[in-house]
Amino acid sequence: MKKLLAVTVLSALFVFVVSSAFAAGASGQAKQNTGCGLGTMLFQNNADQSSLLQAFQATTNGSFGAQTFGISSGTSECKQPTKFVSNERLNEFVVANMDNLAKDIAMGRGETLDAFADLMQVPYEKRPEFYQKLQSSFAKIFTSEDVVLANVVDNVAAVSSSN
Amino acid sequence: MRFTVFRGTKVYGTLCPVYLFFVVIAFFFFLFTACPSPAADDGYLNALLESAKEKRLSEDRYWEALVHYKRHGSGKKSLIDDPKFFLAPDGKLNPAAELEATIRAFFREEKKDEEHPRCRFVARYAWLKEKLDIDELRLPPVACTEFNEALARVNPHSAVLVFPTTLNNSPASMFGHTLIRIDSENQNDLLSYAVTYAAVTTDSNGFLYAFKGIFGYYRGYFSILPYYEKVSEYSNIEHRDIWEYQLNLTEEEVRRLVMHVWEVRDIYADYYFFDENCSFDLLLLLEVARPSLRLTDAFWDNKVRFWVIPVDTIRVIKESGLITKEKYRPSQATRILAIASRMDSGSQKVALDVVDKKTSPQAVTEMEITPEEKTKILDLTAELLQYKYARKQMGKEDYLKQFLPTLNARSTLGKQSADAYDITPPLPPEQGHLPGKLSLGAGYRTDSFFTEMGWRAAYHDLLDPDEGYTEGAQINFFDISGRYYYKEDALKLQRLRLIDIVSLSPRDAFFKPVSWKVNTGFDRELFSDGEEHLIYRINPGGGFSYKNDLLGLSYIMVETDLELSGGLKDNYSLGVGASAGIIKKLTDSWKINLSVKSIYYEAGDEHRSMNASLAQNFKITTNNSITFSLSREKSYDYYQSEVNLSWDIYF
Repeated sequence: MKKLLAVTVLSALFVFVVSSAFAAGASGQAKQNTGCGLGTMLFQNNADQSSLLQAFQATTNGSFGAQTFGISSGTSECKQPTKFVSNERLNEFVVANMDNLAKDIAMGRGETLDAFADLMQVPYEKRPEFYQKLQSSFAKIFTSEDVVLANVVDNVAAVSSSN
Repeated sequence: MRFTVFRGTKVYGTLCPVYLFFVVIAFFFFLFTACPSPAADDGYLNALLESAKEKRLSEDRYWEALVHYKRHGSGKKSLIDDPKFFLAPDGKLNPAAELEATIRAFFREEKKDEEHPRCRFVARYAWLKEKLDIDELRLPPVACTEFNEALARVNPHSAVLVFPTTLNNSPASMFGHTLIRIDSENQNDLLSYAVTYAAVTTDSNGFLYAFKGIFGYYRGYFSILPYYEKVSEYSNIEHRDIWEYQLNLTEEEVRRLVMHVWEVRDIYADYYFFDENCSFDLLLLLEVARPSLRLTDAFWDNKVRFWVIPVDTIRVIKESGLITKEKYRPSQATRILAIASRMDSGSQKVALDVVDKKTSPQAVTEMEITPEEKTKILDLTAELLQYKYARKQMGKEDYLKQFLPTLNARSTLGKQSADAYDITPPLPPEQGHLPGKLSLGAGYRTDSFFTEMGWRAAYHDLLDPDEGYTEGAQINFFDISGRYYYKEDALKLQRLRLIDIVSLSPRDAFFKPVSWKVNTGFDRELFSDGEEHLIYRINPGGGFSYKNDLLGLSYIMVETDLELSGGLKDNYSLGVGASAGIIKKLTDSWKINLSVKSIYYEAGDEHRSMNASLAQNFKITTNNSITFSLSREKSYDYYQSEVNLSWDIYF
C-alpha cells in the first residue's frame, strides 16, 4: 500500500507540474470584460501559444473578412461618439487600447498616443501641443471609471478644439 | 441570362469540350450540370491554355510558391491539405492540372462575385493576367469588393518579421513564435496588421495538445489581425519581449504577400508542431513575396533535421539578405523592471504601497521629494496596476479605483524625458548559439578514464551561454551521450534525456513566479551492488529562485524522483528530496553552476543519494565553448567522483 500510495503521489505531482505548466499557456479563450470602457482586457488569455499551442482567437474560423478586419464587431455594443462617427478604425482602436491610451495621455507620451494621433490625423508638428493639452486635461477626458469609448473620443475632440 | 441555372454550381476542373451550336451546348449543360464555363469565349480560353502550356507556367517557380508545391518523389505535392484550395481534383499533386483548372475557373460565373475564383485567388489571377496578358473584358465581369476593401485597409507598403521571445515559465511558448507585420507608409506600427499561421484548437489539456500538435491532428490557418492586438497579447499579458526585423521586401512584393494571404485565408494545412509549424509556413509566404528566395529548402527539401525552430527561420531569413535592421520591443514586465531599476528601494516601496492601497496617488504628489521621483513612482504604479490586473491578481473594480486616480495624479507632473526609462536591448535571439549541441569530452570517474560523446537535438541548457536566450530557462530536447571507459574497455550509454526542462524565474518585489523543472529519460545510476546501471527516470520539482548581484541566479526546489529498472528491488525506486544551486556569470564568457541535491528514496529500492557538482562554461565563440565539471555523489554507501572536460560545438 505504501508503494502504491507513493507512486500515486508522484504521478499526481508529475501530472500536476506538467499540466499546470502547459495550462499556464493554454488556459483557453475566455474573454473578460469585453466592453468599451477602461479595464477592457480584450485579449486576456488569448495569447497565442506559440509553436505548439497557438492560435485560439480569431483563427478559430480563419476568417480574413469578418473577424480579423471586421473592425465593426468590436465596437458594436458600444455607443458611438458623436464627432468621429465615421472613423470606425479610431473607435476600434480606442476600445481595444483605452487603458494604454489613458496611461500615455497621463504620461504625455507613448506609442499608443502616437497611434491615436495618427488616427485622429493630427499633423506631426502639432503633436507636442496636442499631447500637452491632453495631458493637462486628463481629468476632463477620463472623467470617471465608467468612461466609455463615446465619452473619451468626444472629450478628446472637445479638449483639442478648445483653446 | 442563359446560364442562370448553373450559377453557384461548384465543380472543379471538368472537361469542357467546344461545341459549335448553342442548342447543343444548352442541351449538354442540362445533361451535365457539371460544366461551369460559359462557353461564350471558349476560343479565348483555349488560346490562354495553349499559351500557358507554351510558356510552361505550371513549372514556374512562382506557381510552385503560390500553391505551396514541394518536391515529392519525382513529382510535386502541395503542403496544403484543404481541398477547397485546389481547383483541379488532383491539384495537390498535379501543378499542370491545377494551373489549367485555375485558368478555366476564371471564365466561370458565380452567383456571388466574392466566391468567384478571380476574387478567391487574387494572387493567381494577378500573375496569370500578367503572364498571359489576359484581356479582362473577355472574362465574365467580377467585382472583388471585399478583397479591395481589405487591401485598402491593410494598405501594404513594407513588411516586418516579428519574433515574440519565449515566455520563461510556460513550455507552451518554448522556442517562441514568428509572425509577419504588414506596414503602411507613415503610420504607427501599432496600426499595422500582422499575419500569423497557427493551429486551431479548442482543447485545453496540455498532453492532448502536445500529442495532437506533434502528429498533425490540428489544422493550421493563416490569419491577419491588428498588430496592437498581438502586442497587447505578448507585451501586456504574457510579458514576452518582442523582436521586430525590418525586411527589405518591395511594395510590390509585400502586396503579393497580402494577396496570397487572402487566398489562403480560410484554407487549412495539417499543422505539425515540429516542422510544418508557424514559422515554417511564414517562410512560404515570403517565398510568394519574392519567388527567387529558397527559404524553405533548408527545412524541407534539404533538411538535416525534422524540426523547425522559429529562431532558425530568422537565421535563414537573415542569411538570405532580407533583414535590414532589428528593433527590440520590451514587454511590460521588462519595462517595470527598467523603471524600478532607476529608483531606490524607498521609492519602489511607495509605488507598491499605492498598488496595495496603503498610500493614495494624491499623497504621492504631496510628498517631500523631487517631481522627478514622484513621476517615477506614479509611472511604476500605473504599470504595476496594469500588470496585476492582466494577471488577474486584482479585480476590475479595484483596478479601476486605483488606476484612474494614479493617472490623474501623474498627469499633473508633466512629461518625462524620452530616454528616462531606456532599456538596452539584449543580444537578438538569432545571434545566440545554435540550438543543437555536439560535445566531445574526456574525464575520469572513480577509477577509470573515459572519453565521451554527446549530442543534443535542441535547444538551451542552463550552462550554455545565455546571449539571445532567456536566462534561467533550460529546454533540452533529446540529449544523448555515450562513454567509453578505458579500464573496463566498455562503451556505455551514459544518458538519453527525452526532455529536460528547468524554468528558473526569479522572484522580486514585483513578481512572484514559481520555478519548476521536469525531466525524463534514461540515466546511469549507482545500485546497491556498487555498480552503475541504466535506469529510466521521471523527475519533476518545484520551488523558488532569486537573483542578486553577488550570487547571480539562485534557486531551491523540492523534487520527487522515480527510477525504473529491472535491477532495482521491486523494479523501482521512488524518492523525495531537495535541490539548490546558484548560476552565476563571472565574466562575459565564464559561467558557473554550483548545485547540490539530496533525495531520500523511501519506496521500492530504499536508499539515499546525495550529489554536489560544480560546472563551468567558458565561451570561446558564439558556437564553441568548453565545459569543465566536477562532481561528487554518494548513493547507498558508495562514493563516486567525476572530472569531465568537454568541447561543445553548437550546430
